[in-house]
Amino acid sequence: MSIIKRISNRLIDILLSIWEFIKKLWRHPKGRVGLIMVLFLAFLAVFAPLIAPYDPYDVTQRAAKGLSPSWNHLLGTTITTGQDIFSMLIYGTRVSLLVGLVTGIAIAFLGAILGIIAGYVGGLADNTIMRIVDVMLVIPTLPLTIVITNLFGKSYFIIVLIFVVFGWTGLARVVRSLVLVLKNSNYVKASELAGGSRWHIMTKHILPGVSHLLIMNTALTCAGIMVAEAGLSFLGLGDPTAISWGKMLADAQSGGALLFGHWWWIMAPGIGIFIAVFSFMRIGLVMEEILNPRMKASSGIYKLFKTLNNTYIQEVFAKMDEGNEDLPKGEAL
Amino acid sequence: MQRSFVIKRILYAIFIFFVVLTLNFFIPRLGVNDPAERYYPPQGNMSEIEYEIIKQVTREQYGFDVSTFKQYTNYVSGLLRFDLGNSFKADNPKVSDLIAERLPWTLVLSVSNLVISLSIGLIFGTVAAWKRGRWQDSLLLNLSTISVALPAFFIALILSFYFGFELELFPAYTNPNMVSQFDWSLDAIKVVFYNAALPIISMSIGGIIGYSQRTRNSVIAVTNEEFVLTARAKGLSQNKVLFKHTLRNAMLPIVTAVGMSLSGLIGGAVIIEQIFNWNGMGTLFLEANNTNDYPLMMGIMLFMSTIAILANLIVELTYSLLDPRITVGEKR
Repeated sequence: MSIIKRISNRLIDILLSIWEFIKKLWRHPKGRVGLIMVLFLAFLAVFAPLIAPYDPYDVTQRAAKGLSPSWNHLLGTTITTGQDIFSMLIYGTRVSLLVGLVTGIAIAFLGAILGIIAGYVGGLADNTIMRIVDVMLVIPTLPLTIVITNLFGKSYFIIVLIFVVFGWTGLARVVRSLVLVLKNSNYVKASELAGGSRWHIMTKHILPGVSHLLIMNTALTCAGIMVAEAGLSFLGLGDPTAISWGKMLADAQSGGALLFGHWWWIMAPGIGIFIAVFSFMRIGLVMEEILNPRMKASSGIYKLFKTLNNTYIQEVFAKMDEGNEDLPKGEAL
Repeated sequence: MQRSFVIKRILYAIFIFFVVLTLNFFIPRLGVNDPAERYYPPQGNMSEIEYEIIKQVTREQYGFDVSTFKQYTNYVSGLLRFDLGNSFKADNPKVSDLIAERLPWTLVLSVSNLVISLSIGLIFGTVAAWKRGRWQDSLLLNLSTISVALPAFFIALILSFYFGFELELFPAYTNPNMVSQFDWSLDAIKVVFYNAALPIISMSIGGIIGYSQRTRNSVIAVTNEEFVLTARAKGLSQNKVLFKHTLRNAMLPIVTAVGMSLSGLIGGAVIIEQIFNWNGMGTLFLEANNTNDYPLMMGIMLFMSTIAILANLIVELTYSLLDPRITVGEKR
């Protein structure tokens, strides 16, 4: 079998398991709400030009500056250029979803590959990957992003790249510690004894064992990345020509929305961010509930905090939860 | 705690520091052959000869006229003397002086944020854990879902709109005289906290909920332990069980969380500082970015990374002090 065919077979496996998850999610009442919300946002993003009543890039409406909400302009117009805020809000979905999804999926791939290699192959590979993780963790991400956009120009491509380069570390650590457990399980040992190759064991036995973690993590990462993207766009680090919710907030602040009391100009993008992040989080939490029925919704949040916050704490928590002696940080320098 | 463990950890921290330092040295040199081109990008109306002269001057001024390796050793030896280079600002002030000047103002925000989040979070979390499953608990649960989805800078904008512009209770922008007229008198300190109120509140809403959630989970985890059951079975009072047996053991993860948040004390508020025009490290960094002030930017980055490394080290050492199993695991 050629390597391409092998990889494509695995990809089909992954897609099938994602489809299984979506079906399970649909059967769960809370999950269905999250799924519908995400599909709705995706619909808005794809058909934005058809839905939006005005052209949000049209900055020449001098007569229509700073209008209050009315039936003509559902959320009014901007004070500075007279753009229709409702249309901007719909177009803003595109950047948020695209950056969130692309980053989330890329992180899942990178984190899975590196985490599985570190955990299963061990030795030098493990050491190298974990040392890189340690360095990544101490570099401040936001300042680095600012420097990199300063060096190479402002675009969402660079932002996604930085998110991916710095985002895989947390997932890789979690995957690694799970792989260390799986490695000692009987079915993996049996496969080793039967002469299974490393590739076979990693993709056929280890990957399915961590896939639920990956899918859940992707949903939660998407949520976290969308907040981070809004922050960067707010600072003006995104593509200056694109319309995004973070940039709308920055425009509102600099354009005098606060001064003139145009609260709808601030609330609209803020609520957009909230809905998008909330629906992805909902999906992630429900997935966790489905995967681990013992776990109540409450501990789902606790897990979420472990995902969003520092990874070292995660490990300490994980160790405390499981009584697992294999605390990755404490072992071999 | 074993001495070898401590030494190993310290050496490792130094190793990480050197990796970060090297990255820091090379980042402004990415994508150009001559760092002078970064420091002085070509202007539109400049002839080639003029630009060559300018580049030559820039090279001499910033020590780029020697080999890259020599530049690197110069950089490292400068750092050993706490010399982070000079900023591009008027009169080329030292980067370390600029950092020292802005650091206290950022700490005003971040330390008050930490104190408020931690103290209120501990109380809320303990209450929620004690009233597990009742309305206090489910309220916290719902709040924590909401707070993750509401970015701090959006909260800051709303607060600044409502309390700053509508009610005019607190200043929506920091008074620039606050810094220049600060003289440690009680009035000056009052002015500082009056100006800092909105930034601190907007930062600490997420922090309070985060620490509450952590405390709640940690307390619940400890409540399920057998020694708490024993304490109850011995007939100790509710208060004694809670304060003497449960809370004390539940503090371990909280201590770690606080330790890890130390690194965020310095760079954690860039956006909030920008919204309220607060005179801290975050705005200093954004200023440096707007003027392409690379020595200042990289100096701040290195400073932040160093703090993060130190915080990691402190957490590891304290944790092994609190929980001896970690150093034992090291021996394997």
